[in-house]
Amino acid sequence: MNQPPIVVENLNTHYGDRHILKNVSLAVEPGEIFIIMGGSGSGKTTLLNHLLGLLVPTSGTIRILGQDIHAIPALERRKLRTRMGVAFQSGALFSSMSVGDNIALPLREHSNLDETTIGIVTRLKLEVVSLAGFESLMPSELSGGMIKRAALARAIVMDPRLLFCDEPSAGLDPVVASSIDDLILRLRDAMGMSIVVVTHDLESAFKIADRICVLDRGEVLALDTVDAIRRSDNERIQNLLNRRTEEAEIDPDAYLRRLMGEKERSSRFGPDARKGL
Amino acid sequence: MPHRLPPLLERVGRAAVGGVAELGFAASLLGQSLYWLALGRARGQPVRLAPIFAQGMDIGIAALPIITVLAATIGLMLAIQGIYTLKTFGAESRVTLGVALSTVREFSPLITGILVAGRSGSALAARLGTMRINQEIDALTVMGIAPVRFLVVPPLVAMAVLMPLLTLWADLVSLAAAGLYIAAELQTGFAAYADEVLSLLKLNDLMHGLAKSAIFAVLVTIVGVVNGASVSGGAEGVGRMTTRSVVQAISAIVVTDMIFVFMVTR
Amino acid sequence: MTVDIREQGGSVVVGLEGEIDLQHSPAVRKALMDLMFERRDVVVEMSGVAYIDSSGVASLVEAYQMARRNGSRFVLAAVSAPALRVLQLARLDKVFALAATVEAGLRG
Repeated sequence: MNQPPIVVENLNTHYGDRHILKNVSLAVEPGEIFIIMGGSGSGKTTLLNHLLGLLVPTSGTIRILGQDIHAIPALERRKLRTRMGVAFQSGALFSSMSVGDNIALPLREHSNLDETTIGIVTRLKLEVVSLAGFESLMPSELSGGMIKRAALARAIVMDPRLLFCDEPSAGLDPVVASSIDDLILRLRDAMGMSIVVVTHDLESAFKIADRICVLDRGEVLALDTVDAIRRSDNERIQNLLNRRTEEAEIDPDAYLRRLMGEKERSSRFGPDARKGL
Repeated sequence: MPHRLPPLLERVGRAAVGGVAELGFAASLLGQSLYWLALGRARGQPVRLAPIFAQGMDIGIAALPIITVLAATIGLMLAIQGIYTLKTFGAESRVTLGVALSTVREFSPLITGILVAGRSGSALAARLGTMRINQEIDALTVMGIAPVRFLVVPPLVAMAVLMPLLTLWADLVSLAAAGLYIAAELQTGFAAYADEVLSLLKLNDLMHGLAKSAIFAVLVTIVGVVNGASVSGGAEGVGRMTTRSVVQAISAIVVTDMIFVFMVTR
Repeated sequence: MTVDIREQGGSVVVGLEGEIDLQHSPAVRKALMDLMFERRDVVVEMSGVAYIDSSGVASLVEAYQMARRNGSRFVLAAVSAPALRVLQLARLDKVFALAATVEAGLRG
C-alpha cells in the first residue's frame, strides 16, 4: 500500500537511431499528483507510453504497483492494467459505441457484476465528471471538453489505484480546462489514487501538482515540488516557466536567402514575371 | 553505412524484409486468434457471441442482394458461352456439365470471395486503421482487453462461417440462372436440367468450392486486419491501406485458388 | 469483507465491514436486495468499511431506490470517513438518508 506505485530506473529508449529518453529515473508516491512537463519533443509522450507498457525500452526497468511491467507474463500484465486507468489526449473513445457503453466496457469485460449495477456505476461516473444524461450519445456528438470528461469517466470506472492523464486540458478553453483540473483534484482526494498528468500547461501544472518532473530533450531536468520548481534558477527551466523560446543566432544573409527561396523561383514570381501579366 | 548498396538492390531488400515481416505479423494474428478462441474463456476473456452476430449480419445478410445479382449474371454468362463454344462440335447438350462444375468449383467461391473482400475486408481495414490513429487500440490495451480477441476474432469467425454459406447460395442462384437459359435455348425443360445437375455434381465438387471459400474468408480477414493495423499518417493513410487491403486480398484469393486447385486436382 | 445481519427493534441492521470491492459487492447487493424484497426497514452500519468502490456504492443506490418504491426505510448509519468521501464525490451524501449512529438510524 505504501510502496511507490511507479518506480522508473535508468530508462533509456530509442526511436530508430535517435536516443529519445536518456537515463530517466523517477518514483511516484502514493496519493500524489505527479506532473510530467516539457515542451514538444521533450519525450514526455514517449515516457507516458513507456509507463503504460505500450513501448518496450532499450534498457531500464519500470515497476507499476510493485510489478515490473515488462517482466511479468501477459496474463498478469492484463490484470495489472485493470488497476490503472488512462485518459488519452484525444479521448480515444470507441466511436462505434455510445458514451455509456464506452464507460461500461471495462466493467463488462473484467467483472461479473449485474447489468443493473454496471448501469448505476456508469451513470455515477458520468455524474462525477458532470456529464449526467449523456450516456446514450455517440462520441461524435460530444464537444472536445465533453470527450475529455467522458474519457476520464471511462478511466476511473474500475476505481483504479493509478490514473494517467495525457494533456487533460490541451485544446480546451480556460474555464473548461480549469474545471478538469478541479476534477482531477477531487478524484485524488476522494479515491486516494495516485495521478500522473502529462502536460505542457504551466498554469494547470502549478495548480494541481504535488511534484513536477521537467523533461527536456529526453532528460530529467528537474524533479521537485511546485515551489522548488518555481524558485529554480536553472535557465532552461526559467525559459520554460516564462514561455521564452530559446533563440538561435540569426545569420541575416542566410535568413534572407531562405525567405526569397531559390533563385529561379524568385525570378519567376519576382518583378520580371509580373511584367508579362 | 560505409558501403552503400545500389539503390535498386536496397529497395528490393527493404521490400522483401517488409513483406516477410508482414507475413509474420499475419501468421501471429492468426495464431493469437485461435488462442483466444480456444482459451479465452479460461483466461477470463471470452470471445463473445453478440459481436460475432453483428459482424455476421454485416458480412453475410447485407451482402446477399449483390451476391444474388452477380451469381445469376455469372450463371447466365457461363451458359451463353458454354453453348456458343460447344456448338462448334455440335455438343451443346453437354453444356450442363461444364456449367455445373465450373460454377460450383470455381466461379461461386471466387466471386463471393472477391465481393466480400471488397465490401467487408476493406471495411475492416478502414475501421481498424481509424481506431489505430485515434489511439482506440492503445485504449483497449491499457484497459487490459486483448485487441486481437476484441477486434479480430469476431470478424474472423463471422467471415469463416458466412463465406461458405454465401458461396452455397451463389451456387444455387448461379446454377438456377444458367438452367433457365439452357432450358430455354435447348428446349429441354428446367426439370431435366436440374436432374442432370444433381446427377453430375458430386459432394466432392461442392466441398472443393466451400473449402476454398473458408480459406478465402481467413485470407480476407487477416489481410484486412494487417493493413488496418499498419496504418500511419492520418486519414490519408487509412484510405491508402484500405485500397491496399482490397488489392492484396483479391490477389491472395486468386493465387491461393490456383495453388489449391493444383494441389487438390492432380 | 463481512456482511452481518441482525434484528434490532423491528428493523434489520446490516453491518458491513472491510473492503467492498468488485469481488465482494455482489454479495452485499444480494443481501440488501433480499431484505428489500421482504420489504424490511434496513439500517446499514458502515463504521467498519475501510474501502468501498463504485460497485459497492451502486449496490447501496439500487437498494435505496427499491426501499423508496416500497415505502420502507433505508438508512446508512455511522458511515466511515473513507466511505463518506466516496459518497461525496458523486454528491450521494445529499441523496441517502444518513444517521450518525445505528441507534439514531433505528429511531429515524
